[in-house]
Amino acid sequence: MEKEEIMQDAGEIPVSTAAVYSESIHEDRTAKLFLISSIVYFFIVGIIALLIAAKFVFPTFLGTIPQLTYGRLRPLHVNGMLFGWLLACDMALMYYIVPRLCGVKLWSEKLGMATAALWNVIILGAVVSLLMGWNQGWEYAELPLPLDVAVVVAWVMFGANLFLTIANRKYKAMYVSLWYAMGTILWTAFVYLTGNFATLFATGVNQANLNWMYVHNAVGLIFTPVGLAIAYYFIPKTSNTPLYSHKLSMIGFWSLAFVYVWTGAHHMIHGPISQWLQTITIVFSVMLLIPVWAAVYNFFSTMKGQWHQLRDNVSLKFLMSGVVFYLLTCFQGPMHSLRAVNAIVSKTDWIPGHAHMAVLGAFSFFAIAGAYYMVPRVFKTELYSNALANWSFWLFLIGGLGFFVTLWLGGFWQGWQWNNPAIPFIDTVIALKPIWHTRLASGFLMFGGIVAFAYNILATIVGSKGKEVNAEPAAAAA
Amino acid sequence: MLQKADYNAAFFVAAALILFFIGGLLTTVVPPLLDQSWTKPFENSDPANGPTGKLNPLNEQQLQGRAIYVREGCWYCHTQQTRTLLADTKRSGWRGVDAPVSTPDEFVYDNPHLFGTKRTGPDLSRVGGKYNEQWHMAHFRNPADLVPGSIMPPFPWIANDPKEFAALVAYMQTLGRSKNWRPDNDYEK
Repeated sequence: MEKEEIMQDAGEIPVSTAAVYSESIHEDRTAKLFLISSIVYFFIVGIIALLIAAKFVFPTFLGTIPQLTYGRLRPLHVNGMLFGWLLACDMALMYYIVPRLCGVKLWSEKLGMATAALWNVIILGAVVSLLMGWNQGWEYAELPLPLDVAVVVAWVMFGANLFLTIANRKYKAMYVSLWYAMGTILWTAFVYLTGNFATLFATGVNQANLNWMYVHNAVGLIFTPVGLAIAYYFIPKTSNTPLYSHKLSMIGFWSLAFVYVWTGAHHMIHGPISQWLQTITIVFSVMLLIPVWAAVYNFFSTMKGQWHQLRDNVSLKFLMSGVVFYLLTCFQGPMHSLRAVNAIVSKTDWIPGHAHMAVLGAFSFFAIAGAYYMVPRVFKTELYSNALANWSFWLFLIGGLGFFVTLWLGGFWQGWQWNNPAIPFIDTVIALKPIWHTRLASGFLMFGGIVAFAYNILATIVGSKGKEVNAEPAAAAA
Repeated sequence: MLQKADYNAAFFVAAALILFFIGGLLTTVVPPLLDQSWTKPFENSDPANGPTGKLNPLNEQQLQGRAIYVREGCWYCHTQQTRTLLADTKRSGWRGVDAPVSTPDEFVYDNPHLFGTKRTGPDLSRVGGKYNEQWHMAHFRNPADLVPGSIMPPFPWIANDPKEFAALVAYMQTLGRSKNWRPDNDYEK
């Protein structure tokens, strides 16, 4: 399949030569509602993130109220950020991107609005149950069973809506973002069922293996493909540059489809699980470099000769820094799985540094870029403030780097100390205090980024009332 | 071959699911069928094969204690696995005796499993019998009193509830005990 050919009829992507259709067919009500609620959760859960970071520095802070202890707030932070903010924002962007790549309107806005409403009920239910300690005891799968069922229902509603939109599409060829959107819907369904339902029928190591298949693939087969769908759409779109290679995007997609699911057990390297399974999982973890480098090479090559555009384009700044973080986090991942490296970094503070680079540095950056691009267009106005958007970028970037880098250094140091049994454990805790102070300070910077981002988006939305700009508004600005 | 997937959504769905299910099934359904130790409880009566002992299911009080451990999220900071690392066997060890590494057959009844992914506090896979009830009482009231520099928060609502406290300690005293690894059986109560 030649590149040119696929572009001819692959919707409006990236710099379209395809038939122009009217933007006005899109209502985008679902996308708006999902986006607004996700940003509200980003802000609220950001406060919780600060609280738990503060607990490392001030251990008795808010400590006598059971609902406000670390053990209850941490799952709220993780679930709130993953499902309340990131996945909801990703879903908003899918409701925006998919109809445009298909050249038709969303199959049902009504179903979409119902999905958004149900999603909000789930997140509020999660807040109550996690604070009450109704925790199932599985990482990323803490929510009690009724909420798990609601998530499945919401996901089926989301998936059906998008698949029916795709079935109605006007453009025959499906652009790479559509593959990733479909892959996300399909794989997530099975990954989620494994982590939240199959685990009910297993115990011990067997259950842990299922749990970690889910945990790992929640990142690898939910946030990665949906994040790449966003990146593949918005990088060419915001830079007005065609994607470098269709073939390379195929290699990236199909190798991801095959390789990722094998790697769950690398969470138990050196642990009580069969050695041969550890070896298999290490081999496949290293193979993850294939889909990652294919995608990253494609993005960088797309930007060749276009890097100057980053200066004035906030969305593109977020997107390309996200790509760099994606490259780094997915280099760390395979390296962590090697037994020798794992013996140092596993279970240390390095790991939250790594995890935050994936979920905040890469995938949240993609989502934020998408939000900055989408909001002025769906509300038919201009972004409230480009300067504030720039501020949000630098706050996220500096705060994020402060967080990642100090935790890597601290975690590596901690791992080496642990491997010397002559050092009492408590000394390895005390040694990390400066690291945790820096982490809290970085957290404040990142929270500043959230505030700047959320305020900018909400001010754009509020300001759009009454002053509708006609035609294609911010198109020139972006 | 996969170029057909650019145009045909049904073909795309089939290909994406087949590729996913190869790895999915081989890494989740197959391993417990191949490795019996995942499902067969630990039992050994021959000292020549390592520590002796037998894994028993928890009693009602111990299960209550375990539920408290889950509710309070203890497992976010404490792992329960002595890994195949020399340092782990030393750190889980006690009074000069190294602890045996954790094996799958010691966790057969665990539900939910509590292996953990982060070690902010020490690993608890062999903590059973190391500290007596009095120590735990003082520790839950304020960990930093016993371990200066500790960042574990106090848990007064557990320490002040005799039933909850007794259940939690009863559970903790079972940890790692299916393997009878202490030479003189010098476990605390």
